[in-house]
Amino acid sequence: MNPCGATTGFFVLGRCGRAAVTVCRCGRQICAEHADQQGLCPECSGAQGYADPYRPGWARGFRRSYYQRSSYDYGDPNLYTGYDIYDRSGFDQGDDFAIGGDVDPDSGDGGWTDS
Amino acid sequence: MTGEAPETQASPAGPPEVRAAYFAFDRFPSTKGSAVHIGQMAAELFERFGGGLLGVLGGGNLPRYQWEPGSGIRIARFGERIPNLIDRAEAYSAWVAAHVAPHVETLRVCHVRDPWSALPVVTAPGRRYPVVYEVNGLPSVELGHTWPLAAPATLARIAELEDFCLERADVVVVPSGVIGTALRRRGVPGERIELVPNGADVPPERPRPDDAPESYLVYAGALQPWQGLDVLLRAFARLADLTGLRLVILSSVPERRARALRRLAERLGVEDRVVWRFTLPHAEVAAWLAGAAVSVAPLTGCARNVDQGCAPLKILESMAAGTPVVASGLPAVRELMADGVHGRLVAPDRPAELARAIRVLLEYPDAARAMGERGRRRVREEFAWAATRARMATIYRSITSNSGITR
Repeated sequence: MNPCGATTGFFVLGRCGRAAVTVCRCGRQICAEHADQQGLCPECSGAQGYADPYRPGWARGFRRSYYQRSSYDYGDPNLYTGYDIYDRSGFDQGDDFAIGGDVDPDSGDGGWTDS
Repeated sequence: MTGEAPETQASPAGPPEVRAAYFAFDRFPSTKGSAVHIGQMAAELFERFGGGLLGVLGGGNLPRYQWEPGSGIRIARFGERIPNLIDRAEAYSAWVAAHVAPHVETLRVCHVRDPWSALPVVTAPGRRYPVVYEVNGLPSVELGHTWPLAAPATLARIAELEDFCLERADVVVVPSGVIGTALRRRGVPGERIELVPNGADVPPERPRPDDAPESYLVYAGALQPWQGLDVLLRAFARLADLTGLRLVILSSVPERRARALRRLAERLGVEDRVVWRFTLPHAEVAAWLAGAAVSVAPLTGCARNVDQGCAPLKILESMAAGTPVVASGLPAVRELMADGVHGRLVAPDRPAELARAIRVLLEYPDAARAMGERGRRRVREEFAWAATRARMATIYRSITSNSGITR
């Protein structure tokens, strides 16, 4: 039996593990429960509803256009046009000095609002 | 949780329309206290609306999209590797905008946890849904502590962004009265602020961890400067005569973040008596809390804790475990526990006073045990997650009964 590779759970994640009935285009084995009508896994199926944000250069281009549009909408060209290099320089990846602040991309850590 | 039927049911044929969304610039799930909070709040939202969209940070091995058949819950995770925090936050904002846009027509409520989640949600073209802005902390205050090189002018710009979003949110939820006061000072009308305290559940009895020392103090949480771990280490150095006593630090963040604190422990000569555990699952943390002689929350008297306020889960979860707490006597902490009743409150940033309070509890174990029991009872009666979620359910019901809200 090939186990279904879909991620399940909310606060505690795991693998589905049911018997797979199809293979998603990403190569993942999927059970009948987790396959959508096109035979896609939840990850590929979920991504379909949105523009693909993971193409190269997406973040920068989309961000700029969004902030330009929003600054136009609210009539404030300064507030929402983003931060300049001096603003950003204080938030570059930190070192030991920035305890708790050296947010690395792997951790996906927002870096605040800890309880 | 509320015992009422959700407003929509998940369709067995596929994902239902998205009627509720929750966005947080924080990783979920994770071992941080914030993830526990996100899990509870989002679960209540989705229970009420028959599912919805959870937009959070991903990374690691977390899937970018997750959909649970039958639950109606979709989870989308932002995982772009962008080293600069501001760049990453802005890119995340745009990502939220892209994820809200397809659902603007069907959304009945949006719940956000930070300004970068809030901006695209309050400004979405065609917005008809109310927005709940949950303020557990303000980046304009907290980033000044964690990013010492951030310019005051930059933090002021972030504060402007917060004000812009707060002004347009329909309800502002705070976990502590101190945060509510701070927001009123910033101009948020008091009638729009709702106090929804943090919660904790009394954990089931668990065996003591196999590798737990015979007698230990425990700290559980992240390692930001405002947590006061340096004060705790200095206090622990003053307890060197208690040779069997250990300090267990349950860090919710990875080991590399502890480098500076480990160096401090070495300099103080206590490193061999400090037991470090990193990113333990929540259930294991509960077992360590329950087995401790005293739980310590040495929050510093900084702007983040005093002016902004906080609602530390570590205190509630220690009380829930029946462990007496020694904490800094800050206004936000006094909302959760009382001096001499559930533990001891001491002046912040005073290692000698902290050490003295710990020593007294260790010398009077019967009194300490009674404090722990009273703490557990208080959590059960006043701070259970069920009460927090019921309060949120009331807020959702109230704001969604007025359709077509825009601000």
